[in-house]
Amino acid sequence: MNRAFLQHNWLAFWRSKNTGRSMAVSIVTGLGLLYLFANLFVASLFLDKVLEKVFPSRDAIESFNSLLLYYFLIDLLSRFQLQELPTLRVKPYLNLPIKRNKIINYLSLTSLWSGFTLSPFLLTVPFLIKVLVFDDEASGFFPMLTSIIGLMIFNHFFSLWLKRKINMNAWFMVGFLLAIAIIILADIYLDAISISTVSRSIFNAILKYPYLAIFPVLTGGLMYFLHYRFLKNNLYLEELRKDNAKERSTTDITFLRGFGIAGELAALEIKLILRNKRPKSTLIMSMAFMLYGLLFYTRPEIDQTMMIFAGLFMTGIFIINYGQFMFSWQASHFDGILANKISAEDFFKSKFLLFTLFSTVTLLLTTPYVYFGWKILLAHAMLYLWNIGISSLIVLSFANWNYKYIDLSKGSSFNWQGVGASQFIVGFPLFMLPLIVYGLSYWAFNQVVAMLVIGFFGVIMILSRPFWLKKLVSLFNGKRYAIAEGFRNR
Amino acid sequence: MIQINNLTKGYNGITVVNIPELLINKGEAIGLVGNNGAGKTTLFRIMLDLIRADTGEVLSKDENVATSEKWKHHTSSFLDEGFLIEYLTPEEYFYFIGSLHGIGRAHIDSELEKYADFFSGEILNRGKYIRDLSKGNQCKVGVIASLLQKPEILLLDEPFANIDPSTQIRLKNIIKEITSDKQVTTIVSSHDLNHVTEVSDRILLMEKGAIIKDIKTNSNTLAELEAYFSVMK
Repeated sequence: MNRAFLQHNWLAFWRSKNTGRSMAVSIVTGLGLLYLFANLFVASLFLDKVLEKVFPSRDAIESFNSLLLYYFLIDLLSRFQLQELPTLRVKPYLNLPIKRNKIINYLSLTSLWSGFTLSPFLLTVPFLIKVLVFDDEASGFFPMLTSIIGLMIFNHFFSLWLKRKINMNAWFMVGFLLAIAIIILADIYLDAISISTVSRSIFNAILKYPYLAIFPVLTGGLMYFLHYRFLKNNLYLEELRKDNAKERSTTDITFLRGFGIAGELAALEIKLILRNKRPKSTLIMSMAFMLYGLLFYTRPEIDQTMMIFAGLFMTGIFIINYGQFMFSWQASHFDGILANKISAEDFFKSKFLLFTLFSTVTLLLTTPYVYFGWKILLAHAMLYLWNIGISSLIVLSFANWNYKYIDLSKGSSFNWQGVGASQFIVGFPLFMLPLIVYGLSYWAFNQVVAMLVIGFFGVIMILSRPFWLKKLVSLFNGKRYAIAEGFRNR
Repeated sequence: MIQINNLTKGYNGITVVNIPELLINKGEAIGLVGNNGAGKTTLFRIMLDLIRADTGEVLSKDENVATSEKWKHHTSSFLDEGFLIEYLTPEEYFYFIGSLHGIGRAHIDSELEKYADFFSGEILNRGKYIRDLSKGNQCKVGVIASLLQKPEILLLDEPFANIDPSTQIRLKNIIKEITSDKQVTTIVSSHDLNHVTEVSDRILLMEKGAIIKDIKTNSNTLAELEAYFSVMK
């Protein structure tokens, strides 16, 4: 049976409509992973030297032991961020005479096919061989390896279990993050507990009494069982909507009403962003970008090119992040948009409205950076004008070559659905153009004038928008059949 | 009201729509029938300018739908779930559709009251997004949204397919009512020959993209259609 499942997964990959794209994506991510693995491997080879440098008073293995639990804590957090739930579409199998155990075991075991399974070993095994096997303490090697396997399995199934729990009840996420925050607070800031001491005593004990390695394996096994039982009890819900029970309310975004139909459309798109997983996480990531200034501006010497770049990013992040996938966000109801009484002009006006709205919010959010110098505020304001005048226009023009459907309910990290050539190409004008304009006018005049020039171009484009709107509409009218056709291909 | 000239559309060398000439008058209730793949949905999509025709044109009130957007003012339609905005509640969707035609919320609310029976308590104030509704209920939302627009031309693609028998009967009555005073032109496709003959005064039968029969509905129509479909291979 497992063979049949594997074969179906295999066929699903090759026969999917996006096979070419998923191949390319697999190769790119595969190369990235290989690079990451190579780094881990090399780091592990020199880990003993590093540890002896950082903690000169201790043995390398002692320091290693005291850090191991931290590693698994970080591993858990990154799994929480990045790991995906395994996706065998179980629905077609549930009504067939196949034992549930089989389906669940298959789901569980294949989920181990992930970079997270390998990374702890790459990081630890070379080190352990070096300091234990080569230094005549080989008896400690297998117990350590066994405990690492146990902890890896624990982390793996714990994060899967947690994600499934969160899917059904978001409070689990709050609880988990709160628990992590408390642990970190208590350890690092309050010194109430010490994970390093706990970690050291656990793994020192395992080195001393190898049979103790059974305990990490037991916790791993227990977690596997817990996850297994959870799946078994909830397999019917798999693939079905988990959030049915929640009450949805009819909300209203009234302040956009004044803008007529374009305003209605913009309000609609705000709802789209707030009520669907992928655009929502795109928005949250964009908001997180507001903190990038802390990275750039806290340096004693602020690089002025950096200032332009940071300003471009922070006031235009929404245009860049969200806009690059237009109009795919509306792919599932694009036919409705075309067939209803919505003119292409209003459609584009609503996009400009949306971009202006979000850019204004980000401009306001980043004003506190004026603390690091008034030029920063000037740069932000000028790039804000550039973004709503020019970046938005670039993004909307390129949107006409984007025919790829996006499923709104999937998360956005490592999600390559809807990614195509247009997203890569649009980057060039988006990032290079302002830098070129800035560079040239800086060369001809000075920094402040160069910033003003950027803002000036932005204003020109905003003032001449009716003209560009017409261009966009005629571009769209030529392309709309192809766009709609592409969106119908799921 | 609607005039089609020399319309053809093909995919990969196979003709899916081929209509040399068709005239639909104001107030006609058209039933569109044909087996799967006969080209009904493609025809609808071309009439709504969602697909570009290879040759020919569709004129709505003498204006080509592919070059002018005026038809959107007097045409409403529901073809499939791709017309629904799935992350809205049904109320929000109705309000949105209303706003496109300048119809206020109070007016929409009072219109919706008329359809309380049709919704049988499963649509309004249920605290669900459209994506959480069953297929049948989604279909109800789409059909009512198209009726709320007070169209002069109404296009419905297989509206009877996913809904329960009581709703089917109610929908038939609704369609009969709006066509009764011969002001609204309706085109309804269906696989259910009973329903479609009941709500139409003219039946268009499609096969391989062509309209092979154009019948004024009378008491023999149903038998005639059944005879055609039972020998079809």
